[in-house]
Amino acid sequence: MTRRFWVFIEQEDGKAHPVAWELLGVARRLAGEVKDELTKSGDTAVVEGILVGQDVEALAQEAIRYGADRVYLVDAPPFKHYLNKPYTSALTTLVKKYSPEVFLVGASTLGRDLAGSVATSLRTGLTADCTQLDMGVARDSVKKLLLATRPAFGGNVIATIICKNHQPQMATVRPRVFNAPQPDPNAKGEVLREEIEITPEMVNAQIVEFITNADSSVKLEYADVIVSGGRGLGGPKGFELIKELADELGGVVGSSRGCVDAGWIKYDHQIGQTGKTVRPKLYIAAGISGAIQHKVGMQDSDFILAINRDPHAPIFDIATLGIVGDLYEVIPALIKQVRAMKETRK
Amino acid sequence: MFHALVGIKQVPDTTSIRIDPETNNLIREGVPTILNPYDAHAVAAAVEWKRKLGGKVTIITMGPPAAVSALRECVEMGADRGILVSDRRFSGADTLATSYVLAEAIRHIHSLEPIQMIFFGKQAIDGDTAQVGPGVAVRLDLPLVTYAVNIREVNMQDGFALVERRTESRNEVVKAGFPLLLTCEKDIAQIPYASLPDLVKSLRYEPEMWTADTPVTYDAAQIGLKGSPTMVFKTGTPEKHSGGEVIKSAEVGVETAVKMALDKILSIESLASVLGAQK
Amino acid sequence: MSDDKIRFDVIVIGAGMAGSTAAALVARSGLKVAVIERGQNPGGKNYFGGTVYTHALREIYPDFMERKPPLERPVTETGFWFLSPDGMVKATVQGGKLKNDPIDAYVAQRAKFDAWWASQAVKEGAFIIPKTLVVDFIREDGKVVGVHTDRAQGEIYAPVVIICEGVNNLLTQKLGLIDHDIKPSAAALGIKQLISLPAETINARLGLPDKNHGMAISVIGDVTMGLPGLGFLYTGGDSLSLGVGVTLQALRESGVKPYELLQRYLNHPCIAPIIAGGRLMEYGAHLIPEGGWREMPKLYTDGALVAGDAAAMVNALHWEGTNMAIIAGKEAAETAIEAHKQGDFLARSLSSYSARLKKRFIMQDLHQYRNLSHFLETHPDFMKIYPDFVNDALGMFFTGFGKPKKQLYRDILRSLTDRRPLLKAVGDIVAFGRTIIGI
Repeated sequence: MTRRFWVFIEQEDGKAHPVAWELLGVARRLAGEVKDELTKSGDTAVVEGILVGQDVEALAQEAIRYGADRVYLVDAPPFKHYLNKPYTSALTTLVKKYSPEVFLVGASTLGRDLAGSVATSLRTGLTADCTQLDMGVARDSVKKLLLATRPAFGGNVIATIICKNHQPQMATVRPRVFNAPQPDPNAKGEVLREEIEITPEMVNAQIVEFITNADSSVKLEYADVIVSGGRGLGGPKGFELIKELADELGGVVGSSRGCVDAGWIKYDHQIGQTGKTVRPKLYIAAGISGAIQHKVGMQDSDFILAINRDPHAPIFDIATLGIVGDLYEVIPALIKQVRAMKETRK
Repeated sequence: MFHALVGIKQVPDTTSIRIDPETNNLIREGVPTILNPYDAHAVAAAVEWKRKLGGKVTIITMGPPAAVSALRECVEMGADRGILVSDRRFSGADTLATSYVLAEAIRHIHSLEPIQMIFFGKQAIDGDTAQVGPGVAVRLDLPLVTYAVNIREVNMQDGFALVERRTESRNEVVKAGFPLLLTCEKDIAQIPYASLPDLVKSLRYEPEMWTADTPVTYDAAQIGLKGSPTMVFKTGTPEKHSGGEVIKSAEVGVETAVKMALDKILSIESLASVLGAQK
Repeated sequence: MSDDKIRFDVIVIGAGMAGSTAAALVARSGLKVAVIERGQNPGGKNYFGGTVYTHALREIYPDFMERKPPLERPVTETGFWFLSPDGMVKATVQGGKLKNDPIDAYVAQRAKFDAWWASQAVKEGAFIIPKTLVVDFIREDGKVVGVHTDRAQGEIYAPVVIICEGVNNLLTQKLGLIDHDIKPSAAALGIKQLISLPAETINARLGLPDKNHGMAISVIGDVTMGLPGLGFLYTGGDSLSLGVGVTLQALRESGVKPYELLQRYLNHPCIAPIIAGGRLMEYGAHLIPEGGWREMPKLYTDGALVAGDAAAMVNALHWEGTNMAIIAGKEAAETAIEAHKQGDFLARSLSSYSARLKKRFIMQDLHQYRNLSHFLETHPDFMKIYPDFVNDALGMFFTGFGKPKKQLYRDILRSLTDRRPLLKAVGDIVAFGRTIIGI
């Protein structure tokens, strides 16, 4: 028997979402974690990618380089742009055909739209926004199950969920929770084209307009440096200072939920439970108290510098380094010193 | 006549939940329950369009008896009818079982009074899965528009709506025929400050109570714990971090504090290269 | 209803102690009454030390104990603590006259108590409209015939309105019942911490036998740094409420910050051990009207009555405010009920409210204590000198072992005259006595 660990390869306009590569790495690890069972049963485990779109074959090769043993490719005009029903139909059909054991989807807006629909179609279990995934025995299961760990209650509780009696065990994972594996330029794998019939009746919605956001270049999730502002800024003007520092450091501007709710900055910059998850190399939190709903979105950053007037702000509990002070004094000083440093390096 | 249905959830206000520092358990007492914020905006949007087109808004929720207060809040915002689907046998439901209960209830309502648009909030702030809306859409085979930020048009004549949704990279305007289902961002409508007649109406309003038997008869195998493929294996509290060094700028002066911070950051290879790499 | 207007027989503004009382009694008489409360729920905007008095509760609901009111400990020991900068003289009463049944006073928490008090009014048939602010009155020929709220289509009509809006009596001012906003010298800011401690710890530290014994203490002296005001300590079931109240004027002139005052009190060498190891559960403040008699507004006009804090019905020295509010709420209700019987809502008919209050302790006491505020203003060091002196005097008296007692008494006298010339001190005491008696 072949135990299939599936990853949905998300793409938009012919470009893959990096979360797919991150999940291929996870799937490979999960497949490795059942090695002892494979030895006993004589089964094999494979990591396979599911790619849906139009004219996207090149991405299948990329998926193989990131670790897919095989890629199932659904390539046809109805799939050019993401629409819920055609994509759900495609995935559901393939799952029914190949019976994967585990199915991972990136928790992007597309992924969350798609995964819930597919899981319901298949009447199987889905755990969203997982921060940890392992294979393990649970509740005297015969085989190891997918142990899907995720925050709940706004991040106040960490819960591990299992789906014991249904397949595939589905999980969505936010971009940047896991690191992508190193691609292997010599990797070999198979690309299998699959035909999925989409009748006109199945297309129950159409995209009539695309509107590019001015901030669509805000690639928060993959930025190496993020400078974030919170309510401590006192008003929208504070973000001018944040942006100045971010520009100086070659980084991107982030925000807590409070500032977005107050209308000081657009939602694209929101980091946290109802925003984006980030793990930059450097995260500077200015005027952010560090409520748990924000923490869950950035606590895995490599280096966290917190600037806050309140010495008891919870952000200092997770900051690598904290400065207790007025951000309107500290940040200008930081900008000045960074500029001076860059001058001397020239 | 325009008939909108909104699925809501009463949730604990997770922004005011705390962990007891001694026992490491969730402090559940005194945590107020609220109408899920995204659902509130969904209700506001439905009511806005009802007022424009004439019609009615029905609210439905699966929850414990206390959820009547969330239904009253919706009536306060201008909804006309509130239904609480509540039964012991629903408890332990995960999102699959929940979407089953709601879908069948909605099917029943629709059979008596056709619905054009079904609204859900984008996610509930306790579960945060964002799965129930899509689940209901699949069960009822409806066009699904998630992350809706604006309803451009509701065309009763030709039977479609134009809904603008937001993705990470861009916004899209989607056209879908009735009935359709959308999950809403907060941007979709502002919560109105209720008029006095609406508030008074909500204070006196008694929602309808539905059970697992009537008016819809549910399949026992698909509700509650039995109908839930996922279950909680274990829970814990997040790692307690103890934080790193804290420099008080009042003690050492702002310039020194900043210098100390920069020095520490640059002492780390990966960071130094990232920063040094910038022009 | 023949028109679309929202109509009631009586409107009550505010679901606090006065408002919920008035509403309950009006509803009990069979009239339709609406209470308009600006908070999320009744009690949400109220805060105090503090104690509720059973004589008042019983007057409205004779069976109030059976209705399971949310009460903390009964007050079985009460009195004064005089604080000097590093010491304390305790003068409290327990047993004896305090052993009434039911006990005269219970410690309570407003959020819970007001909610319960309002729920009793709802039981009588009152209709409470929360989250709504009354912004003005509807008038016809100068008579109040209803209110404007801050909501759309927000008019409610009633031939008589009972104003129980609390210390910030903006609506009372709008009606012209008083011609100025609350004076800084007539308003105290009460600020407190509610600290959680196991009941056994409280019992041990305060010498209480069990949870059915409690204390309500007025703290005088160093606690207010000489500013006119008082400190307090109340025992909850498993919590202690400690706080200070000082007039806004005094805070402004002295530059002292309210939280500094509170912190100093909590750090006092005799107080700190009582709360050691406790967990801060609540931190809050509220204004208290202390202008008394001199700052009372006119209590009625065509179509309207005022009761409670909005009418400055507080006797700060005795911590009596909630019971005054309840009794005034009752008298206002009876006045409104009578007005309906007569079909006359003009001032001359509503003037019976004033007559009723004069027969009760409320007006008599407020009249008697009318000069207290003024006394403290004109004797700015009173709160500093005498508590300190009492501490010194008794301290010296009880440590004079081996000293010739004649010398001891001279030393005690000198410790007074060092602070205040003897004649002036006598004058102070006499003046204070007269203020208390009301002459």
